[in-house]
Amino acid sequence: MPLVDPITMASAVSKKGAASQTVTVESSASPTAETYNLLPVSINQTPLAQTLRHAQPLLLSGVLAFGFSSLVKDPVAAMSSTTLPLTAALQAVYAVICLPVAGRGGNDTAKKAKPRPGEKTSKKRAKEGGNNAYVLAALSLLITALVTPFIYASMVLFGAPFLTHGSHTLLCAAHLSLLGLFPLFYVHGVDASAWAAVGGFRAPLDETFGGLAGALVGAWLGAVPIPLDWDRDWQRWPVTILVGIYGGYVLGKVIGGTTAWGKKF
Amino acid sequence: MPPPQPTPKKAVPAPDYKTLKSQWDAAKRKKDAEDATKKAVKDQAVTAVEPNNTDEIKLRELRRAALEGRRKKAYQSRWAWTAGFWVWMLAIHLVGLGYFTSGFLLTRLQLDDKSLCDVSPAGQEGGILPAWPGKGTPEGGCWHPKTFDKAVVVLIDALRYDFTVPVDDNAEFHNRFPFMYETAVREPNKAFLRPFIADPPTSTLQRLKGLTTGTLPTFIDVGSSFSGTAVEEDNLLGQLRGAGKRVVHLGDDTWESLFPGYFEGNLSRPYDSFNVWDLHTVDEGVIEHIFPLMEEGRKGEWDVVIGHLLGVDHAGHRYGPEHPEMGRKLRQMDGFVRDLAGKIDERTVLIVMGDHGMDSKGDHGGESDDEVQAALWMYSPRGGFGRTKPEFAVPPATAVERPVNQIDLVPTLALMMGIPIPFNNLGRPIEEVFAGPRGNSWNNLAAAERVAAAGVKRYQASYFAARGMAEEPASTPGSPADLWDKAEGMVSKGNWVAVYSAFAEYQRETLARCKSLWAQFNIKNMILGIAVMGFGVLTLLFYVSKGAEYDEAVDDPELDDAEKSLEIMGVIPDSELPLENVLERKLVAAAFLGAVPGLIGGALHAYLKGTGDYYRGAAMAALTSIATVGVSLYEIKETLRTLVPSTIWGWMAAVFTLSQSIGFASNSYTIWEDSILLFFITTFGFVTALSALRIQSLADRYMAIYHSVLFVVLGRLASASKLCREEQMPYCTSTYYASSTSSTSALWQLAIPFAVSLILPTIIKAYLQPTRSYEGLAPAWIGYVFRTGLFMSALYWVLDSADNGNWISGLPEKKLKNLSVYTAQMVLGLAFVAGTTAFMWAPPCVSIVTSASKSTPTRAQVAILGYGNAHGARYLLLPLNFLVSLILLSKPMGGGALAILFWQILSLVEILDSNSLSATPIGPVMLAILGSFHFFKTGHQAVLSTIQWDSAFIPLFSVRYPWSPLAVAMNTFAAQILATVCVPLLVLWKASPKKKGALAETSKKLGAFVGFFAVEGWMSMMWAGHLRRHLMLYRVFMPRFATAGVVLIVVDLVALGVSLLGLRGNTVAIGEVFGWAE
Repeated sequence: MPLVDPITMASAVSKKGAASQTVTVESSASPTAETYNLLPVSINQTPLAQTLRHAQPLLLSGVLAFGFSSLVKDPVAAMSSTTLPLTAALQAVYAVICLPVAGRGGNDTAKKAKPRPGEKTSKKRAKEGGNNAYVLAALSLLITALVTPFIYASMVLFGAPFLTHGSHTLLCAAHLSLLGLFPLFYVHGVDASAWAAVGGFRAPLDETFGGLAGALVGAWLGAVPIPLDWDRDWQRWPVTILVGIYGGYVLGKVIGGTTAWGKKF
Repeated sequence: MPPPQPTPKKAVPAPDYKTLKSQWDAAKRKKDAEDATKKAVKDQAVTAVEPNNTDEIKLRELRRAALEGRRKKAYQSRWAWTAGFWVWMLAIHLVGLGYFTSGFLLTRLQLDDKSLCDVSPAGQEGGILPAWPGKGTPEGGCWHPKTFDKAVVVLIDALRYDFTVPVDDNAEFHNRFPFMYETAVREPNKAFLRPFIADPPTSTLQRLKGLTTGTLPTFIDVGSSFSGTAVEEDNLLGQLRGAGKRVVHLGDDTWESLFPGYFEGNLSRPYDSFNVWDLHTVDEGVIEHIFPLMEEGRKGEWDVVIGHLLGVDHAGHRYGPEHPEMGRKLRQMDGFVRDLAGKIDERTVLIVMGDHGMDSKGDHGGESDDEVQAALWMYSPRGGFGRTKPEFAVPPATAVERPVNQIDLVPTLALMMGIPIPFNNLGRPIEEVFAGPRGNSWNNLAAAERVAAAGVKRYQASYFAARGMAEEPASTPGSPADLWDKAEGMVSKGNWVAVYSAFAEYQRETLARCKSLWAQFNIKNMILGIAVMGFGVLTLLFYVSKGAEYDEAVDDPELDDAEKSLEIMGVIPDSELPLENVLERKLVAAAFLGAVPGLIGGALHAYLKGTGDYYRGAAMAALTSIATVGVSLYEIKETLRTLVPSTIWGWMAAVFTLSQSIGFASNSYTIWEDSILLFFITTFGFVTALSALRIQSLADRYMAIYHSVLFVVLGRLASASKLCREEQMPYCTSTYYASSTSSTSALWQLAIPFAVSLILPTIIKAYLQPTRSYEGLAPAWIGYVFRTGLFMSALYWVLDSADNGNWISGLPEKKLKNLSVYTAQMVLGLAFVAGTTAFMWAPPCVSIVTSASKSTPTRAQVAILGYGNAHGARYLLLPLNFLVSLILLSKPMGGGALAILFWQILSLVEILDSNSLSATPIGPVMLAILGSFHFFKTGHQAVLSTIQWDSAFIPLFSVRYPWSPLAVAMNTFAAQILATVCVPLLVLWKASPKKKGALAETSKKLGAFVGFFAVEGWMSMMWAGHLRRHLMLYRVFMPRFATAGVVLIVVDLVALGVSLLGLRGNTVAIGEVFGWAE
């Protein structure tokens, strides 16, 4: 049977859009049928985790505030020597202490209800417990670094300079990856269906997903002041985007982890 | 009935319209018969077994025909009402824009007074100079002693100041015209050279008015640049003629339309001024005819010769300054002026000047520095010119030092020639002319300055009297009256240096006052215009947001089919909606009802008040008309609340539209509009790609993501085509032309149209094939005709470049031009004449395949390939016709951008389809954003100087109405036009012949689409009005408003005249074959 059927008269009258076999309108209109039921991530209940959870936004803001003046002067140097390593360290510590490793936390129940590929490994991880958290954090950092070029490409598509300012944009992309995506890699690993839920904005809000949504919106809004002819140093590429990422991440994370926890878009 | 069976595809020759219809009818009859008898047998069998059924079938056939007829009629009537609604919308937009413009564009009252020779404004007695022989007569000098009997005025169009002074570089436009600078340095008494600053707008027509009347031009005149209108104010030529001087004119025929009948008919030689591609005819004509007049024996035939050369200007428009042709042209001018100076005698003054400059691409019209800085050179072998300071001996190195206003030429020339200064003059005498050879004739300078200033004062008094305004009293320090009194008080003291500068101060202050005075806006009209536009926008949004539910047909083909067969069997009467329920009909009726009281009220008000502005009735009519339409929309449950978006898509549409329009309040966001539009396009693609993750079927999901990514990548690719505006410098590099200082395409750019002709038809085919719609006329039209058209337009640009660059030497002149123009005409003929005919008569892009059914071999099965996209695939032929012609008119780089635009539009409809976004306004808004984005990618900016006037000569040899303006408009708004033509695709793509309510739906989509531009027009209008005193008004806000206004009207017209009309033709053609679904 060919991939695309010729349409007979009888079938054409019965179904709207049936003529286009490659794109079926009906199925996409009701995505609830087989929705992957992702549960929101809860923060570990240890006192240290609960403290760090609240301290992390302040520390991140501190990193930005501390590096801001040098960021404005020389974005590449400041990002590569100050903000990026500090943020990476902070995010890694935050993940190890506060976040459940991939496969633990809230996802278990959902996964039991509906087995998925990748479940095996996560179960194993869950058994092995916290010692592997360091390995997982390192792996997540590696994946974070690997997706950075894709974020870089997205930024270029949004209008970032194509042939110039390569290191500016790449470092900025690394920040977005580190803040927005790293915690999600830590809690979800590379589970395709979990990522489809996150990407389709069907995941429930929590600290990780809220942070990603916030960082994306922040980066988007960060572009707003760039065209203005105010001739300020802080309008230099990509300072405003970076500030937007930090601000959006912190805001999204706090809101997602508290008032909006568990809610969906 | 058995389930549908896949039928093997058979090669069926594309059937023509009639056979397709009969095939369909046969199939349909068969099906009807089957339904009726509930027997799955061949129809021959039916006839055999139940012979009395034949009558029944005949009867049904008749009923069916009657029903079809009624439906068709009802459809046509609904179409007419819908079109009526859009005519009304167009009228509202015209009234709103017109009203605002009438209050916004500066107006100046023209006074008809003329200066008289024997009435000096400085008074008859006394004066600074002792009485001279012949005072008060043209022979001796009316207001000042005459110094020259004759004048030769050479106007070199677009002669920028830096073309004439030494500049230390190797640019084609520098150091090619050294003669004037050299003479001014070598013989300062015989010649001087100074920057000559134009008052914007820098179009030739406006400049000639300023150069002859001495007043400031106002913007409203710029629209008449295509057809000049006679100058009625007092002017130099009128005064010359009044003094009995004979004026000869050679060159640019704009003079003839401004001053009809002023010139010596037998000696003058006017030449067509708009043939931009022709660099030489005008110049050679002037040179050929001017030298004989300089012969000793013929000097008695004339007093003033005006020669207006256009070669430099045309070289700028056609190639840009940085081109060997420009260098050649300037050298030719150098030689010409050199020769001419040799022929000038002692009684004659030679004046060489530019009327404006040119920007970095060779265009002009705006008020950037490069556009206003022209050059002025005067020469007389008698050596009467002087400098008041020794350092003035060398001409200024740049145009910002010691500039002369262009209006200053008027009093200078008038006093030199002994004629009165024209009444409306605001300029002052040029120092060098009156300073005497040693530069110390202060009394002469003071006298000239005083008489000019007195003329200015007289004019001011008349102007204020005519306007009914009071002048500022002399008691205000620094007011013109105060300055005048002070200057007059000095006259008796005899310190001529002080007197001279006091009168100069008075003139400067008055000029500044006049500039701000004539920036008087009519706030009342502006507010009325904004109100009409604003309420119009609101009504349109009402119409889009909620009206959709009002007359939405139940779109269930099965139900419809059952209903229809029942109607045919005569069981139930025709279910067609009564015409009174058509929304558009109600609205149009309301519009007319509402307009009447407004029109009467407005006219009555004008009559009773005696103000005479009856046209205010139009604004009133528009407002009351909008009010009644608004109320009738409210009647059908309209509330403001429905305007608030409820989905992320609605929000995106609203944010994209509003933020863009609000951004026009800032010059930065207006300047960087192209980057912002790319940002929105990418945002949309990004969000749809994420949204596609929600699609369950993996194949569909990947297709949806693929189209989103493609959409974004194509947008970014197109963004490589840039034409930077001055304000974007230095952060922008133009790529649209070969270099930033040229207006020709680079060699590699010529390959783009060829690539388009190779790739684009294949891409379109790929979009049609999944729905099996590459059938019927499509393969022939898209694969051959469309491709040929694209190839020929690619060929055109090669021919054009070969002509511009003289690639083939030894060809007879104009051979290549002829060839290229005929090629262009053939492409346009193919697109519009053949294309429209083909679109009108094309059968649907479907094929009918008949085969034996597999399950019951006795039964024939009819399959229609492309049934599911019957509407969309056929309608696609119409945008393709436009695409070919727009690609031809848009230059190679722009052609590439338009091809990408079309590809993006195809991806957009796929994205909308796979993400089920057809009910949201995001589709039309994205289409509008695409159109706006590619406006910039086809080498335009929202400034006057980026209008590619030379596109008028792509299909023509000379200016012809209305074709030349039409070609320029199609070049300028190519992207928006293409987007507008594609609006029905949003509804028709993947719509089967059973699609109901396509007309109403398309009208709503058009509403959202036009709404985007209407909001832009309205907001940019408000900002222009609000920021009317802003420094950047004429550079940024006014041009943006003008662009938005014109785009809105263009979009309205195309929506009405192409999109809606095309939809009608398409629906009729589909309905004729498959029966009326509407």
